[in-house]
Amino acid sequence: MNAGRAAPRLECRLGVGVGLRAKHYRDFLDQRSDVDWLEAHSENYFGAGGYDLHVLRRLRADYPISVHGVGLALGSAVPEPGDHIAKLKRLIEAVEPALVSEHLCWGRAPGRHFNDLLPLPYTEEALALMTERVSRLQEALGRRVLIENVSSYLEFRASGIPECEFVAELARRSGCGVLLDVNNLYVNQLNHGCDALAAMRSIPVDAVAEIHLAGHLVTETCAIDTHGARVGEPVWRLYEAALERFGAVPTLIEWDTDIPPLEVLVDEAQRARAMREEARRV
Amino acid sequence: MSELGALQRAFGAALESNDGARRHAPLFRGPPERVLARLAVYRGNAVGASRRALAGAYPIVAKIVGEQFFEGLAREYLRGHPSASGDLNAFGEAFAGFLAAFPHTQDLPYLPDVAQLEWLAHRAHYAADAAALDPARLGAVPEEAYVRLRFALAPACALMESRWPLARIWEVHQDDFDGEFSVDLDAGPERILVCRPQFRVLVGALSAGGYRFLRGVASGATLVEALDAALAEEPAFDLGAALATWLDTGVIVDAALEADA
Repeated sequence: MNAGRAAPRLECRLGVGVGLRAKHYRDFLDQRSDVDWLEAHSENYFGAGGYDLHVLRRLRADYPISVHGVGLALGSAVPEPGDHIAKLKRLIEAVEPALVSEHLCWGRAPGRHFNDLLPLPYTEEALALMTERVSRLQEALGRRVLIENVSSYLEFRASGIPECEFVAELARRSGCGVLLDVNNLYVNQLNHGCDALAAMRSIPVDAVAEIHLAGHLVTETCAIDTHGARVGEPVWRLYEAALERFGAVPTLIEWDTDIPPLEVLVDEAQRARAMREEARRV
Repeated sequence: MSELGALQRAFGAALESNDGARRHAPLFRGPPERVLARLAVYRGNAVGASRRALAGAYPIVAKIVGEQFFEGLAREYLRGHPSASGDLNAFGEAFAGFLAAFPHTQDLPYLPDVAQLEWLAHRAHYAADAAALDPARLGAVPEEAYVRLRFALAPACALMESRWPLARIWEVHQDDFDGEFSVDLDAGPERILVCRPQFRVLVGALSAGGYRFLRGVASGATLVEALDAALAEEPAFDLGAALATWLDTGVIVDAALEADA
């Protein structure tokens, strides 16, 4: 891979990070960990003050921070409440993150929020709405955001556009970047029979600005994106292909359920780092 | 309505009931049984997320009723009070009222008040930081100006009254509590102050006068007005001692003379 092309982009210098979870606050505060950056779920730091925000402010002195939203539900047909973006903006001003991201999903219905990353019908109408929402978000925040492909257990019959083409077109129209979740691609391959590798090839090489890696669980009903285990071997192989195609983009190890000691995350990060280094040399 | 809106409404209805799931399953690819099973996975996610959010805000209620019963409570609560925000830390505000009306927890009559206290503590955890008032600043105010002096409470502070010994219930359920696990439910009514010196939320009982004083401060009374009300309630109320504690624990964070405003 041509590392020279990718190198000048600030985002590429981030290396391999891990998700910041409350369970590991003490580890990070006590000593410098061998990870390059930290990704925080935006909504956990929406308070006006308090311990979580205090920790994040402390850690931003030692690590580049990525702010990753799970609650905007950008593709929801109902209008979005303004206060969520206002709180995100306040957080961004407080921690000056290197990256800001959200998901390609919906989740808000009239009067309620499902607090889940629900899949959209991939239609022209949804693409137009997502484009408008992402553009408005970038305008409100005054910066580019990255949008992540989600895992799903169901596909709308109404979907006419393959997910990765949808996200690539969204990036082209809105100017957003793509946060490519390789585990989600693999989970969707298991659940819907789509070809993860081919899906990846439909995303333009320079659109991907971050990669997510996480563990999943295969059940009788479907594969579930649990973020509760080590990254699966097939996902590592897809990651290798992603590095080959997109270059050494910043990579994140995510772990959200049954969170293990930090060393396990650092160990996963080391593996990703070694593969990134290998890809740079080729 | 747009097609997108209609599809999302149908997906929502499919997540809310078995009926809705059966009705709208044909919107999704694949054999109906598989679609129904996968819709159930989404529903399980929603219940799981709300249970975790509620258990995070109400750890003592969860300990009192036990994990399994709490899961049922979360499911019932979610049915009547769905999350309205993308921020799950905002979920659960009406839990105390829900518990007060819930038939299967009536044998735990103190549970709604425990929940109300935990919600105040949950909000305190995320409230804005505020530096304690410098006692020297207070010392510089001449006594004759006290009629115009107004204090401000820290954003994390909250007050509540209960007929149950909430401060003790709070204390014995803290993770680091190592005393004797006993609560005298007939100890009499309590007045509670929630505060957050630095980052740990504290819950303590106030005297009648102390409670009246801080209530006055919270509603904008001057020092003299608040003190008069406190002394009417508790003639022996010792303002000097109480102030020292409240300055020390960051309860009072500002003092302003009316003319300053």
